[in-house]
Formats: sequence, C-alpha cells, structure tokens
Amino acid sequence: MEDFNKKYNMTDAELFAQIDKDELASEKITAPRYSYWRSVFRVFFRKRINIIVLVLLAVVVIFAYVYPSIIGFDPQVNPYIYVNEPGGQHLSPKDAIEHYGFALKWLFGAGATGAPTFDAIWNGSRISISLAVICAAINMTIGTLLGAVWGFSRRFDMIMNEVYNILGNIPSTLFISVMVMVFSPSFWTLVFAMTILGWLGMAYYIRTRVIIIRDHEYNLASRCLGTSIFKIAVKNILPFMTSVIVLEIAAAIPGYISSEVFLSYIGLGMSEASLGRLIYEAQTAMVTPGWGWEFWTPVAVASVITVVLYVTGQNLGDASDPRTHM
Amino acid sequence: MGKYILKRLLHGLFSIVVVIFIVMVLIYGLMDRMKLFRTDPQFSKQINNSRTTYMYQKWEEYGYLDYVPYADYLIDLARQGVIDEETRAAAAPLGRAEDGSDDSELTKEYVAKFYEYAEENGYKVIRLGAVLSRGRLASGGAQALFAYKDHSIPLRLWNYFKGIFVIDNVHKVPADQDIGARKLTFSLYDPIKTAQNGGKKVFSPVIMGNGTLHKYLLYFDSRFPYIHQNFLTISLGTSYSVTRGVDVFRSMTQRQGSYVKSPLTYPTGFQEDSADDLHTATYIQGSRDANVMYQQRYEDDYTSVQTIRSSMSRLGYSFFIGIISTIMVYILGLPIGVLMARYKEGILDKVGTVYIMFISAVPSLAYIFIFRGIGRAMGLPWLFDMDNFRKSMYILPIVSLALPSIASMMKWMRRYMIDQMNSDYVKFARSGGMSETEIFFKHVMKVAAIPIIQGIPGSLLFAMTGALITERVYLVPGAGGLLMDAINMYDNSVIVGVTLFYAVLSVLSLILGDVLMAMVDPRISFTDKAR
Repeated sequence: MEDFNKKYNMTDAELFAQIDKDELASEKITAPRYSYWRSVFRVFFRKRINIIVLVLLAVVVIFAYVYPSIIGFDPQVNPYIYVNEPGGQHLSPKDAIEHYGFALKWLFGAGATGAPTFDAIWNGSRISISLAVICAAINMTIGTLLGAVWGFSRRFDMIMNEVYNILGNIPSTLFISVMVMVFSPSFWTLVFAMTILGWLGMAYYIRTRVIIIRDHEYNLASRCLGTSIFKIAVKNILPFMTSVIVLEIAAAIPGYISSEVFLSYIGLGMSEASLGRLIYEAQTAMVTPGWGWEFWTPVAVASVITVVLYVTGQNLGDASDPRTHM
Repeated sequence: MGKYILKRLLHGLFSIVVVIFIVMVLIYGLMDRMKLFRTDPQFSKQINNSRTTYMYQKWEEYGYLDYVPYADYLIDLARQGVIDEETRAAAAPLGRAEDGSDDSELTKEYVAKFYEYAEENGYKVIRLGAVLSRGRLASGGAQALFAYKDHSIPLRLWNYFKGIFVIDNVHKVPADQDIGARKLTFSLYDPIKTAQNGGKKVFSPVIMGNGTLHKYLLYFDSRFPYIHQNFLTISLGTSYSVTRGVDVFRSMTQRQGSYVKSPLTYPTGFQEDSADDLHTATYIQGSRDANVMYQQRYEDDYTSVQTIRSSMSRLGYSFFIGIISTIMVYILGLPIGVLMARYKEGILDKVGTVYIMFISAVPSLAYIFIFRGIGRAMGLPWLFDMDNFRKSMYILPIVSLALPSIASMMKWMRRYMIDQMNSDYVKFARSGGMSETEIFFKHVMKVAAIPIIQGIPGSLLFAMTGALITERVYLVPGAGGLLMDAINMYDNSVIVGVTLFYAVLSVLSLILGDVLMAMVDPRISFTDKAR
C-alpha cells in the first residue's frame, strides 16, 4: 500500500473510492454472454477444412441450380440440339473441344445423343439433390415430431412399438422398388416411395434419444419445479437433439442421392434425367473403350456432391453439439 | 425364456402376414393391370376382341382373377355329365350379335344358364359382338362370351399361406387314376442305384411312394446334403415370367449352369448319357402316353425329373459370397475398430475415419465400380462366368460386398468402445491401478461387443438374400437378381415369394439376435421375474 502511495505520490483517498453495495446487481447470476447459433458458427469456422467444403458446396449449388437456368438447359424442350451434328456423339472432352472449340459445356465431352455431358450432369444433379433434400426434409420433420411424441407419451409408445415391429420388417429396397413398379416412375412417386416408410427409422431413433434424456435428473427436477412438458421439450431436450438431427440429415441426404442412383441403375429410377438416370443410360457406353467418360463423369460428380454434403453436415452436426462450445 | 421366444415368434408371424398383405394390396390392388402388357410383344399383335380375351387370359395367368369362357363352361357341364357331347357341340357356337338376338334356341338356353351360373357365383359376364369389316369377320374380331371374378385379397392371402407347406401323401394322384395299390414302400436297396449297377443290389435305404406326388420320398445320393426328403416341400408361389412355371423356392434352390451328363439306366432298362436326376421324379398325369420318349424310358407317369447341373443354385452363390464377406467383416472390421478406439486420434484412426466417410458418403454404385476398376487393373476376372469357372472370380464380388460393411463395423465398434471408455466402471478400474491395455481388452471390449453380437445372426441370415448391386455389377447368378428380374417382368408371385423370404429372415434374425445377446450378457433377462 505504502509503495503505491509513494510511487504515484497520492493519498489513499485519491487512490480508492468507496462504492455502494448494489443489492440488485448481487441478485444477478453472471455468466459469459452465450448465443447458441453464434457459438455453432464460431466452432464450425474454426476448422479450415470447413471453409473449403463450404466453398465447394456453394460451387455445387450454383452449378446445379443457377447454371442450368442461365444456359436454358431444358430436357423437355430440346436438349439434344447436337443430334444431327455429324461426328458429334460419344466425344471425349479433348475431341469435343477440338470439334466445337473450347466452351465450358464441352468440359466433360458429349454423350450418346451429342448433348454436352457437363450440362446434362448439372441438370441431373439439380433433380437428384432436390429429391434428396425433399425426402430428407419430409422424413426428418415427420420423424422428429412423431419421435418426440412417441418418446414422451407412454400410451403412444405402446401402439407405435407394435407398428414399428411390423413395418420395420419390410426391406426398404424391396418396398421402394415395388412402389416404383406399382405407380409410374416419376419424381414424386420416388418421393412418395422414399417417405411413406422412411420416417419410421428416424422416429424410432429420436424416440430412444428422447427417452434417455427425458429421465435425466435435471429434467425430473425441472418437472418437480412445475415446468410444462412443452417447455421441457423445447428448452431442455431440443438443444441436445439439434446435433443429433443435423448429423442424421447429414447422413440422410447423401443416402437418398445414393439410393436414387442405385434404383436408376437397376432400372427402377424415375423418368426424369436425374444423375442416376444418366449413369443408367451410360452403362452400355462404359464398356466401349474411349466412351468411359459418359459413365464416369456423372459417377464422379455424384460422389463429389455426396462427399461435400456429408462432410458439411457432419461438421455442422459436431459444431451444433453444445458440448463442443467450451 | 421359452415363453418369451414363443411370444416373439407369434408377433413375428403376425408381422409377416401383415407385410405380405401390404405387398399384395400394392401389387394386386393398386397397380395398373395394363402395365403387364407394356413389354409384351404378343399384346400388340392382338386386335379387336381377341385383345380383350387375351388380356383376361393373361390376368388369370398372373393371378388377378378367375376367367371362365362360355366354351369352358359347356365343357365342364359335359364332363360332369349334365349334358352330352352332342348338346355341347350344338350349344357352343355363339351368334354374332352382342345382345344374343341371332343365337340358336339351344345356345340361347345355355347362355341364359351361363348368366345365371355367373350371377350365383359372383362372376361378371362380358359379351362381345363380332367385329365386322366389309361384311366379313375382321381379324381377331370373333364374338366372345366369358365371365370373370377378381380374387379378393384376404382370400388370396389365406390361400397363399395355406399353400406354403405341401405335405406329400398317397392321395396326391387324382382318385380316378388307376395306378395300382397306393402305398409307401421301404426298401434297403435303391432300385435306381441297383439298375445303375447292372442289377446287382446296392445298399441304400429308400422310401418310395405310389400315389404320391414324388416317387422317391427319402433317399441317399452323392450330392450335398447326401440325404434328401420329399415329404415336405415349400412352395412360395409359381413364377409366370422369370422362370416360367417353376416355384420361387425351387428357382432359388435348384442348381444352375450346364448339364452334367453321365451314363444312366432308366427304369425300363434304356441306357443313355443324360443329366436327369431320376430321384426327383414327380407325377404328371398322362405324360407317359403322350410322349414317345417317356414310353421308352419310364414305366409309369412319374416322368418329370430335374437335371443335374454343374453350378450352385442362386441361393448357393449368394450365400457363399455373403458368408465369406461376413466373415471378412468380423475378422477385419472388429480389430480395426478396436484399434482405432485404442489409439484415438492416431494415424490409424485418422485413415480409418476418412475411409468410413468415403464409404458412407459416396454412392454405393460409385465405389463398387471403383473397386471393380482397381481389380481389373490388377488382372482379376471382373465378370462372373459359370461355364468358365475360376476361383478368382469370387474375389471381387466378395471384396466389394465386404468393404462397406467393414466400414460400418469399424464405425460402430469404435463408437461403442469410446462411449464405454468414459463410463464410471472404467474410471474405477483405472483408479484401482489397472493398466490401460488390461482395462481395454478385459472389460471395455466385452461390453462394447454386445451390440455387435446382437447383429451376428442377422448378418449370417441376410448373407442369403444376396446383394442386389454387387450381383448385378459382377453378373453373379445369385438370389438378389431374382427380385429385380421379377419387378422388371411384373412377375407378381415371385415378388410376393421373395418378400416372404426376406420377411421371415428379418424376423428370425431379430429374435435370434436378442436371444444371443441374452446368452452372452448376464444383465439381460427375458423372464418377467428377473426384470
């Protein structure tokens, strides 16, 4: 003390001021400012790889959704304007660029009808991604909502367990194939076939998670204090579920793209020119030497799209887990 | 435990019935029946009335409805002795007019009876007038009169389940056939082998039947499983287009490939190089009289035999490939998953995580083709060819099937292990001074393996169904292709049969998985008391 007085050449009264005791402030519980979503993004962007993946995702979205409408690629009107071009079919990228001069659309060569593979692939990607996103949105919404009710209500649990035991035995590939066979193979048929039972797995998963978290001590305490079930669901349980849901969506979207490609490959896909349809149609070209491009480029693009979506989702899922926000 | 399993089995049975019901509603109730003709070359050749009758005939064949033409009705009446052959012939020709105004008096009488009969039995009658062009009958325009009735789905379901198990007995041959004494005979000396051996008796016990569907009901031969029985046959529905007229179960289990011929002595003593398997003889009424070749070879109407072929059955190929890849999954996936958890954040963990991510994200079709490309570059055979068999043909399908399952095995094993590492008993063991390795292998692994053990019966059973995509890419003639062929060819009964097969496997594997889990984990008990 005396050292300070000497050092600054001040008296105690000058150095220190009396502050009154603030009764109100002492009632407040202070904690660092915490915003859930800000923390999610802070954790997400901490990893360099996520920025790269996000840029790739942006590229994919731009090419799949913006590019086809800019160039006016419409498979319904006249996609194959190069049909009558002599020597314009089954071109490798090198031949196509030599034939037509350099343009973005000849980057992957030309297909069996002479249409630029590049354009066809991005148009197909748009259809495939849309299918996956729509299916994931429907299944995850129904699955999460029903799963939450299923987890909370014991009476509903009994009914739903029976339903699950019965419907869970239906092999999904078989069911989707039969549905596609029964109805006409269109985009919405596929959505219908993939969602009519698709929510069941998600609902069961959520139900199990809800039951585990529901019986934790802090929730029991919360209920003893009179918190409503709805508030417990939204405030106590939902934050734990967010990362689980995001992780599930991350796995589901590439999964739907994968099954669309698979169904098309075995001849049960939709009639629209999706990625799977392109791969299906290029099957015969694959065995011909020099025509492999038609098959491998859609396969490669499909793989890149699914990996980008998967990695984004996984890392976003990790970041949305509050336990990583320390 | 026994009571619990019984309850689960009953539940499973119920859910199988529901699944079959759903599939039947989808196929027979909701599907547009005209789709059957989309790929039928015969259909486009038919015009006018013959197209309509062709459609109803096909629908009957595919099991949609019961179709009774007027002519068949009359033949039936004649067979029952209600009318004589002359009346039948006179009543059969129909008039050309749709309303029946130019029918003969006799025809009018029987047409009226036909309508009456149809109404009594709930049939709907369709009468088509002749289609004329320039006063003459147009091509395919002959007049037609027939009745039809849709099969109801509950009835269809009942009949289907009633017909799954067929027990052979001496009353299988129609009662009006004179085939001598109907009985089962037991012999210590197999007549086929004896004949093969030039009449010298060969010891090989056999049970033969007369009046049964199969001639040989129990016999031994040199092929796996060496003892064969025909008392009980499983029938899952007869195929219409994929394997014409053959039962689904048989088309999954019968051998394929080229014929294996060997010198054979037929019951009549006729000798020939043939692939016929005489032990599989079944009864076909009147077949011997109708065919000179049969008269030369057989002494009775048990003439329908299966053939001996060189390659495994569809189920056999699928099961062989499936079982080896399942074994690979457990041998490789489990230890790698354990090591990834043990040395978390290490180099193996990082490489493994990338591999898991690759398999989970990339479409299955893409990586199977990538593996096939790699295998081809290494000089492995990349297409399956039954007639030109080499063992190395199995490598790529097995590897392609195993790699994705290995990834998921690694993922789950790693996750279970890491979850266990944070639990209290591990902390307790650590504080007690146990070494990390000891804790890991003695305690954590035992607990983490339990959910994996639960999946073992399922992975073994589902090895049989065959992998759709792998089999298609490598052209493996396995069971997986059967369903796809059936769907592409609208073979309804095969679809129902395969669904039943899948559903039974799925129910069984769930129950067996739980039982196995209860056996290895003393904490789990299925009896109410212990709970």
